[in-house]
Formats: sequence, C-alpha cells, structure tokens
Amino acid sequence: MPRFLSSALWLITLAMTVVGCSDAESRSGTAGDFGRCADFDPLRQVFWGDTHIHTDLSLDANMQGTRTTQDDAYAFARGEPIPVQPYNEDGSATRMATIDRPLDFLMLSDHAEFFGTLKVCNDPSSLGYDARQCVDYRAAQQFDASPQEVAGIFVGLNALTAAEPQGARYPELCGPADEYCLEAGMDVWRQVVSDAEAAYDRSDACELTTFPGYEWSGGPRVKNLHRNVMFKNEKVTALPYNYFDEPYAEGLWARLREECVDAGTGCDVLTIPHNSNLSEGTYFENKMANGEPFTSEYVEARNAMEPVIEIYQHKGASECLPGAVTADELCGFEAIPFSNLATTNLEIITPPDPKGFLRHAYGEGMRLEASLGTNPFQYGITAATDTHISAPGFVAEDDFKGHGGAGQPNRFLPPPPGFPDIEYLSPGGLTAVWAEENARDAIFSAIRRKETFGTSGPRITVRMFGGWDYPSDLCNAPDLVAQADAAGVPMGGTLGPQPASAAPVFVVLAMQDSTSAPLQRIQIIKGWLDGDDYQVTVYPVAGNANNGATVDLATCARQGEDSGDLCGVWQDPDFDPGQRAYYYARVLENPSCRWTTWQCSAAEYDCTDWDYAGCVAQKDNFPPSDYTCDCCDPAAGLRQGFCAEVDCTDPDSLLEAEQRCCHQVEPVIQERAWTSPIWYQPPS
Amino acid sequence: MLRPLVHFFLIGGLLFGSKAVYERSRIEGPSITVRVAADATDADVEAAVRESILLNEARRYHWDRTDPIVYTHLIRNMRFIEPDTEDDDLALFQRAVGMNMQAHDPVVRARLLYRAREALAFVPEDRMPSSAELEEHRRTHGDRFEREGRVRFQHVFLSRSRHGAALAADAREMRERLAALGDSSPAGLGDPLPGLRPEQLATPSELQDTYGVELAGVVEEAVVGAWRGPISSVYGLHFVKVIDTEPAYVPPLDVIRTEVRADRLRAIRKKLRQERMASLREAYRIEIERAP
Repeated sequence: MPRFLSSALWLITLAMTVVGCSDAESRSGTAGDFGRCADFDPLRQVFWGDTHIHTDLSLDANMQGTRTTQDDAYAFARGEPIPVQPYNEDGSATRMATIDRPLDFLMLSDHAEFFGTLKVCNDPSSLGYDARQCVDYRAAQQFDASPQEVAGIFVGLNALTAAEPQGARYPELCGPADEYCLEAGMDVWRQVVSDAEAAYDRSDACELTTFPGYEWSGGPRVKNLHRNVMFKNEKVTALPYNYFDEPYAEGLWARLREECVDAGTGCDVLTIPHNSNLSEGTYFENKMANGEPFTSEYVEARNAMEPVIEIYQHKGASECLPGAVTADELCGFEAIPFSNLATTNLEIITPPDPKGFLRHAYGEGMRLEASLGTNPFQYGITAATDTHISAPGFVAEDDFKGHGGAGQPNRFLPPPPGFPDIEYLSPGGLTAVWAEENARDAIFSAIRRKETFGTSGPRITVRMFGGWDYPSDLCNAPDLVAQADAAGVPMGGTLGPQPASAAPVFVVLAMQDSTSAPLQRIQIIKGWLDGDDYQVTVYPVAGNANNGATVDLATCARQGEDSGDLCGVWQDPDFDPGQRAYYYARVLENPSCRWTTWQCSAAEYDCTDWDYAGCVAQKDNFPPSDYTCDCCDPAAGLRQGFCAEVDCTDPDSLLEAEQRCCHQVEPVIQERAWTSPIWYQPPS
Repeated sequence: MLRPLVHFFLIGGLLFGSKAVYERSRIEGPSITVRVAADATDADVEAAVRESILLNEARRYHWDRTDPIVYTHLIRNMRFIEPDTEDDDLALFQRAVGMNMQAHDPVVRARLLYRAREALAFVPEDRMPSSAELEEHRRTHGDRFEREGRVRFQHVFLSRSRHGAALAADAREMRERLAALGDSSPAGLGDPLPGLRPEQLATPSELQDTYGVELAGVVEEAVVGAWRGPISSVYGLHFVKVIDTEPAYVPPLDVIRTEVRADRLRAIRKKLRQERMASLREAYRIEIERAP
C-alpha cells in the first residue's frame, strides 16, 4: 500500500463523496455524449487541440510570474486575449497574448505534485500556511524578490520531483502524513474538474471540448518521465495521483485502472508521455519499477494506458536524432542539444541520447512485441505547446512570447534584452484528431484509437489510410476518404496478415494551413524488424524536395513553388510479409523563418564588433529592445559567415564564441505534420 | 465536509453582525481610527479603511481568539520566545493573548483578512441561483452564451496543384456541370481535400479559418439554392451552394446550465462583496489620521 494511503483514506472517502455528487455528474452523466453535435460526420472531421498547458496552478509557472488561471486558459483557447508577465508593481501586465484561431479541444495539465502546496501556501486558513517553506514561497512572490531568491526557493521545492522514486515525497509544509496538501490538493483538483465542466460546450454548436487532467511530473535525477493524465469526462479519480503519491508509472496506471477504468462509473483515462528527448534515454528502457525486464502484464498495461505520445512541444522534438538509426536529414528539426530537464533549464549543452527518441521506441516496441505478444510502445502521435503562460495552442513563430516552464519566465522587470526564451526552445505544436464531432466521447475515442496527428504548429491537415487493394489513382477520387476508409485502416490502425503476397498500399492526402506556408512534400517513414534488428527507411510519396522554395532571412518573406494540397498513393516496394513494420507520414511545408529569425528580422542589431564574452557579462545591462547579443550569437544560426570556418570535430579547441557555432538552431525551418503510424502485423 | 459548516456559522455571524451594525448605525456605529501615510492617495486611504473594517469585524467575532490557525500560530510564536517553557498550549495561547500578540502579528492579520474576505464573498444557500434565475441570466446576457449562426452548404473543389494551368478552364467546365445538376448532390465531382465534404454544416468563422476570408464571405452571404463560384483560396477554386441557414442562437438552459451557473455565480459573488462592504462602510464611523 502506498505510503500516503494509510493516513488519507478518510480524505479519499470524502473526496469520492464530493466528486461523486457533483452537479455536473448528476445532470449530464456521460451516456449520450456521442452524436449530439449539429455537425456530425461518420467519416470524421479534423479538430485541433492542445493537451499540455500550464497555468498559475503549476509551481513552476506560478513562480515564473504566471498569474493567469485555468479560466483564463479556456478564454484564450476561445480567442480572448490574456495578460502575460512581467507585471508592473500595480499588477498590470506588460504584455498580452491572443491566439490567431480558436482551438477545438484542450486539456489543461498543471503539475499535480504541487496542487496542494500552492493552495496551502496561499490560503491563510490552511494548516501549514506559516510553515517555513510557505513563508519563503510567499517572499519569492513579492514584487521585489530577486531572480536568485526565486530560483533558490523554486528549486528547493521542485527538486522533490527529481528525487529517486523511493524518496519521492511531499514538501514538509504538507504536515503530518501530508494531510494538509492532500486535502488542499483535492480541493484544487475538484476545481480543475469543475472549471473544465464550465468551459465544455454542451450545446449542439460544440465549439469547445475540454477534458479534466493534470501532469504526473516524475523526473528521477532530472530525467524526464513526465506524463499527462487525461480523463474522458467529469468522472475522475478522487486524487490527482502524482509522483509523490505513485512514484512509478505502473503504480499510476494501476491506480487509474482500479479507481477509474475498472470502477464501473463511466470514468475513462489515458496517459500521454512527453519529452522523451529529455529522459537521458530512459523513457523506453526495458525495465520495470522492480528493476526487472518487462513482463507481458506490464506491456499490456502500458499499451492500454498510453495510446499516444507527444512527438513535439516547446522543449523540442522527440521523433529522431540526426545520424541515429538511419540517415534522415530531417531529424535535426528542433532537436535541442540537451539530455535532461536540468541541462535544458541551465542551458548546459549535453548530447541527447537517441534511445530517448521515438524511432528507437518504435523499433524496441516491435522487438518486445515479438517476444511478449504486445507492443508497449505502439504510440499514436500528438504534439502540444507545454505552455506555462496559460496560452494553449499559442504556436505562432512570428508572435512567440516565450512559454516559460523549462524556458525563460520573463517574470522580472525590466525584461531581459533579446529573445523572450531560451533560443533552443520553441513555440511547440498542436494535436489534431479525426473524430465524428467535437465532443468528449468522439475526441477521446479518436485519441484511444490513435487517429491523431501532430504538427509543429501550423494547421497542416493530413489524412492517411493503409490497405491492400487501393487503386493507384485513388488520389483522383472525389470520395477518396470513403473508399479508403471502407477498404483499409486509418492512421493509428493495424494491418493484419494478407493471404495473398501483395504489399500494403498507403494513401496520404494533405492540405496546407491557409495562413502558413504551402506544402513541399509528403514522405512515408517505414520501420521494420529484421530478425532482432530494426531498420528505418524514408520514402518520398508526393511533392518535390527540390522545388526551389526559399526564404529571405532578412525579411522572412517566402518565395517558391506553391502547393496548397498534395496527395500520394504509395506501395511498399520492399515489403516482407514476415516482418513487423510501421509506416507513418511526414508532411513538410516550404521553408519558413524560425521564431528566432523572425525576432532578429524585426530587430536592429550590428554584429560588426560583436563580443561573446562581453555579451555574457553585460547582457542584463542592455535595454530590452537590444537584440545584439542574441541575434549575433552563432547559436541563433544567423552567422553563417562567422561559422563557415569553424571545425566542430574538436569543440574543446575552439573559442567560446566558435563553440556556439557547433550547436546552432536552424534559422529556417520546415514546419511539418507527423501522422500516427499504421502498423503491419505478420502472421504469428 | 467541515469547512462549509464552519463557513455557514461564521458567515451567518458576520452577516448578522453587519445587519445589526447597519441598523444601529443611525444611532451609533463602530468607530475606528485608520492611520495612513501622510502622502497616501485617496485610493490608498480607501484600501486602508476597508482593511481596517474587515479586521475590526473579524475581531468583533473573536476570530483572533478562536481561529485554529491563529491559535497554533500564537503558540508557535510563544515557543520561539520561550524555548524552555514547560507550559501547555492553552497556557501559552492565553499568555500570548494577554500580551496582545494577536493584534500585531502579520500572519494573524493576514488570516483575519482572509477569513473576512471569504465571508464577504460567501454565497449562502438562499442566494444560490435558482433555475429561474439562471434562465433569466441566460436570457438577459445572451451575448455571453450566443452560438454563431451556421450554414449548410454543398461544396466542390478544384485543386490548383492538380489542375495547374488548366485550372481556369476546368473551373468553367465545372460551373456548367454544376448548373446542370439541379437539386442533385455534387458527390463525385471535383477533387478530394482532407476534411472536405460534399455537404457540410459550418459557421463562417470556421470556414474562414480553414479556407480563408473569400469563401467564408460568399457562404455568409447565404444566397440559398444557387451555385456560387469559382471562389479562390490558397488551395485552388471552390464552388458552393447554400442549402439553408441557421441563425445565431442561445442554447437552452438545460444544455448550458454549468456554463450559465459559473457565470452567474461570478456575478453574485461580486455583488455580495460590494453590498456587504458598502453596508459595513456606511455603518462605520471612520477617522483618518495621517502620519507626519
């Protein structure tokens, strides 16, 4: 029995009573949610969302100056402006943010570890309010608190999430048996569920769908193993089980299964892994909590509980690393040069481990499936922002204000000069689902069956089907979707063995975001298991990699060939019916400016006498409008002349400024969409 | 479970007290002296006055003697001052009160203000919005709950990247085919595009987000029964025929009760805070003393 249970059973009972009797439940229940929207399409429509959002309920966001609430986040998703830090002493915000288009669905995912802590420390009626840690926390919230003071107090608390699992525990301020924080945390959780209920559009307009959720933030030794916990509806567990309650993922899943999925209450839940790139290669380690290799029970639990994964967000892409597993020149996209959460936050260059990336997981998953019967890493694809300023779906490269979290908070005045966030981080992406309607049941089911795709921000729409008998001219059929759906499986599905010796055929149909760059091409990435080895090959399917599209770095103006939509039918030329395989599509836009380049294109700076050491020492003394230090820094990718002669094979022999050339961001990016794979299952 | 009960009694007390204070005020209201800085602005003075009133109310109901947080905090203070004491908690608390520690301690002050502010915004059962009140709120604040009007329309698309230089000619041909369709469905005509359906229900905003302003504008004009086009977008050319329109509407209460209730409660809390503060403000006699 977990440590906290003995002292908190009464709290759980109380919470179940309260949650179980909520207004929302007695009114709506969950039955009948499917089919209630005026716009219902049995062949499914695309809906855009974000499932990774932090507000003032997250300790890190809160201490970084985020004052906007979950209500504000919902308002932002609907298209309303919200204030963004830094705030003046009188409480007025110095910045505002607005999304360019409303979202269809979202799940707020505040760090549950400190739900109770924040409430206890902010509520004078709480026992624990005047505990030393709370006094320090409140001191750090004062307007005149120094960045060093705030950082010290934040780290003191947040370090608890980086403890080894056996040492994971609530802060001392939570009192005997953690009761203060457990009780307060339940209050907060109840409010989270209630806010999600109030924001969910239950009319037949179905404008906004909300899901209650939170983030389980386990990061033993700063290796990121975080997961977002997403409930289908207002039927939730009594506690938002976090790393302090259940310090192992399998404990979390067991608790969710027992108190939600198997509880017979209409509750359903899934967990979404993210930032496996920052796990030092441990996210997909074949090791259970007891140190033993996976068992068949474990892989079944993981497969059932984790249908999708976040391939991309603010803290970088987790698809693949350049040079790992296969030559894929597109693996450099937002590949941040850090291996864990701490090095990211402190900007210490540490090579990421390829075992923390999805390509590795997909290969390992097939290998484990061959021996255990279930693939524990059969992930569909999502993407998200991981915003810590309550700004879901705020992905515009040309309007990036920094997302905070592991990045820069910009809490203090005057704001630092130059970029509003660490240059290696980015605005993050969006999740899209193919669902019948914009309502909880339909969207949750779509995520469960992995009929999802992620984008790096733009609303690139892509549809993919796999089958055995698709005609080669399927792209010309106006009823392409109906035909493909009837004769095959959509993204996220599995193709079983085919009696004939045919090879699978895939059709991919994509359209650009009407407000973003045109499309350049579609690729299919195939991975397969060859004996005990896994392989990957990238195949072109439609469009033209050499279409001559360019972007002007000085103005960010795009030029070149214009494809609003692309379609391709592709048959695997190297298919072996005895080999497990997966296939996913990657859709690429024409090149466009990265956010760093957008900001430099709008700023005035002169790199003639640029001095790296001088910038490091003096940057904070420069006015906020001075972008010289950031734009002249080779890491921003705009000093191609300066870096041309730098040989990065021996970085230690280089000057500091030259070393910055060895870890440049891409000044020009190709925004993209990644579909969930379609798997091929050979005869057993 | 306990907290709502505590709130109920304490709030009841505060409300009763406020009422009593208000009724007596014409004869003799509580008098307090509020000290402010010499250069305090009007806003600073008002804030200080309100805080003083709330603190005074909290003390009138003896929360500074009975509140469990105040109790434990004062004991902790005393044990800090007298680390070797062997007195029990009650004795230490009584000694702290004897020293009037509760009057000056910043944590006690914050605690009392917090409770008083909570009390001001507390919504008693009899002020919880009824269904009728929610319905009235929904009706009178329709702009907050209104859903955009929708258009049902048929849609045929010709892709620029597929038709290339022949796009304009193909569009002319398509227009003729559509004109000859009569009331038949256009299914089977045009090019596929993800998410595009031969017939669809959408709002103009959704169409603008997906296809751009030009197509949304044509659909919004809602000329029923005629094929319109070609309309240009970044994807190519479009033809649309509006089948019918649904005006903007406010959903019924049983559908959006949670949304309306949350909105109404926000307003009630705000009003209660203002009303109760105004009552207290009126009942009190305030003397302002500016520090030199």
